[in-house]
Amino acid sequence: MKNGKLSVLVKGILKENPVFVLILGTCPTLATTTTVVGALAMGLATMAVLICSNVVISLLRKFIPDVVRIPCYIVVIAGFVTIVQMFMHAFLPELYELLGVYLALITVNCIILGRAEMFASKNKVLNSALDGVGMGIGFTIALVAMATIREVIGAGTFAGMEIPFMVNHTVDIFIKAPGGLMVYGFLIAVVNVITKGKVIKKKEFSCAGCPSAGVCNGGCKNKKEGE
Amino acid sequence: MDFKGLVIILMGSVLVNNYVLSRFLGICPFLGVSKKLNQAVGMGVSVIFVMLMATAVTWPIQTFILEKFGLEYTQTIVFILVIAALVQFVEIVLKKFIPALHKSLGVYLPLITTNCAVLGVTINNITDGYNFVESMVSSLGCGLGFMLAMVIFSGVRSRIDESNIPNSFRGLPVTLIAASFVSLAFFGFAGIIENLFA
Amino acid sequence: MKNYIKSVVALTVICAVVAVLLSVTNFVTAPIIEENANAAANEALLIVLPEGKDFAQVDLSTYELPATVTEAYTEAGGGCVVKLTTAGYGPDMVIMCGVNAAGEITGATCLSSNETLSYEKTYGDNVKGYTIDNIESDLDTVSGATMTTGAYKNALKDALNTAIILGGGSADLRTEEEKLADNLAAALPAGEGKFTKWFISEPLTDVSAVYIADNGAGYVLVSGESYIAVDSECNVLTDVSDDVKAVMSANAEAIKSSEVTELDITGYGDMPSAIDKAYKTASGNYVFELHAAGYGINGDKYTKSGEYIYLKASVTADGKIIACETVSQKETDNIGSACADEGFYSQFNGKDETNYGDIDAITGATITTNGYKTGVSKVFEAVKILEGVA
Repeated sequence: MKNGKLSVLVKGILKENPVFVLILGTCPTLATTTTVVGALAMGLATMAVLICSNVVISLLRKFIPDVVRIPCYIVVIAGFVTIVQMFMHAFLPELYELLGVYLALITVNCIILGRAEMFASKNKVLNSALDGVGMGIGFTIALVAMATIREVIGAGTFAGMEIPFMVNHTVDIFIKAPGGLMVYGFLIAVVNVITKGKVIKKKEFSCAGCPSAGVCNGGCKNKKEGE
Repeated sequence: MDFKGLVIILMGSVLVNNYVLSRFLGICPFLGVSKKLNQAVGMGVSVIFVMLMATAVTWPIQTFILEKFGLEYTQTIVFILVIAALVQFVEIVLKKFIPALHKSLGVYLPLITTNCAVLGVTINNITDGYNFVESMVSSLGCGLGFMLAMVIFSGVRSRIDESNIPNSFRGLPVTLIAASFVSLAFFGFAGIIENLFA
Repeated sequence: MKNYIKSVVALTVICAVVAVLLSVTNFVTAPIIEENANAAANEALLIVLPEGKDFAQVDLSTYELPATVTEAYTEAGGGCVVKLTTAGYGPDMVIMCGVNAAGEITGATCLSSNETLSYEKTYGDNVKGYTIDNIESDLDTVSGATMTTGAYKNALKDALNTAIILGGGSADLRTEEEKLADNLAAALPAGEGKFTKWFISEPLTDVSAVYIADNGAGYVLVSGESYIAVDSECNVLTDVSDDVKAVMSANAEAIKSSEVTELDITGYGDMPSAIDKAYKTASGNYVFELHAAGYGINGDKYTKSGEYIYLKASVTADGKIIACETVSQKETDNIGSACADEGFYSQFNGKDETNYGDIDAITGATITTNGYKTGVSKVFEAVKILEGVA
């Protein structure tokens, strides 16, 4: 049982990494990874919302009727997003400005709705919380990894600190929109190589249970073809 | 109403600040539903439609209810619920009264609820301080920009399908890299707007 | 039915709980957010006025300020910060400008804007040290973004004027036309505020411009900085020295007796085609209306709009220019358009055929300047023809 709990926690970090394997939450992944600080903030904010919503939805899983579950989830998630927004606005105003509209858009990040539907609504509170932590860490790591590549090459800095040599030889395009798409593409390819395509099967499993499967089915459809 | 200002908002949101290619809003359907031209057009039309409807509803709500009673902090939750309800409502109405249109757009509608481009455009219209007409124009521009990106990209993808791609790049990676080039092409529009109307 | 009710109840309860949670959070965070916003606003004040301390907001209703000013702050050191809302290419460009006690701009920044390019973000970096006296002439707008930077510059001028007003002084918010009208009315109240500029067609002494009262009450002669009123009987009304009075009275006599008759120039086969109309005054001088080819028309090539520069010149019988004036032009804005500035065309006053070329060219507009000079040279030819010398 203990082992089971650990695997719930760990799977989100690599095996079911939401960004590189489940291909969820592409929008913040691309938009907020121009700086490491922004990516870290986005990751942590998302993690906070994810853990809270997972716990609450797991607690309410018997109370929420099946027909209205999606609206209920959305209300809970949007509520937590707003709370996080308000706290960040009050205590971390710089980060609040930096993330801008993408903070509010955590609401429609398919990771959160996806985990609510796929995991929290079917599991006990503790497991759901662990799942939230694991997925949150996986998401944060992925974002920071991407941001590191983009910021170091694109701006010659890491978390705002200048790196000798790199700072004089920047490749601007990396912190612009096309660079984000390109780095993301290459990273997924790298993860594909590392996991030797095992990713693909996991992907289908996770998409089937995702309420927003239609929205992010680009990933699924592509993977099927890739096989 | 300054007509030139409206044209600039429209052109700006279609070309320069393209939601998909430079702000990454609505990237999921962009990658997912852009495989065939007719799908791309269907999704694009649905998004334009929902964006306009959502703006027409959320702007008055924000101005006449939330700001009046100091409830700005409920913006996110109210907007997402409005959009969700709106999408449901539109689907029911279409199904009942215009079944032909429902048949062609119906499949795309439920996907739009969690499309961050729609929520994004309604929130951005408020933060940019647009009035009602400007908001509608900006929504139209964002929707058109979304559709333009989808349609262009569906053409690019049909070429990718025919090419020989290294194993590890098959599927999503190569799609993202192709999207990166399309995005690069849109970079060319940055800065033309002021000179276009100067 | 039971399920239906249960669904509604569940959703309502969740919404209610979330709403309560949100309002509690808002209750906690709202004061902090507001405090932050105030601190951030003060920080912005420091960016544009770094040495400022103890900022205090000014009640705008007690002053008469330019319409663009939305907020103003004074500080202990005598400086002030002005917040202005103007429109560049898009609406609502919000600019904050700091002015120190010496009336110099200490910094300016654009807080928010709807411009399509981002020149407004950096334009404020280069405006430090300008004062109300030199900003108009010395601060350049960015070519290609004149709407944005022009609006920015006007906002800075408003800020400088506001600083003067807040400092207890009175700033001149009038436009050049309003200033002129006020000066004329002050010099000759009998003119009832209605004056017409008279094109100088007689050699006058120490006079740069002449205005005639529409009701015949008299003349106002502009001499240097002073406005000297002369009544219709040529008595000088303004209090000046007797020498000046004598000179101005003579000037007024010359103006009064000046009478022009249009000449028929069609009979002169070799009259330059640039001359549109020619007049002769009672004292034997000539006035010409003519056109010159500037950048608009460079030789035979219609390079731009195809509009000539139209000008007017008065010349003595022995070929000396009395006065010269641009009537209309369509040269490139901010470049060749300077040929309509008095500072440019008044350079020709007193010049003759030998030295009319010795004038300062308009910067960056050689073609306009040369075209103008060529136009002026035709006047000398025309005078010779009319005098029968040629």
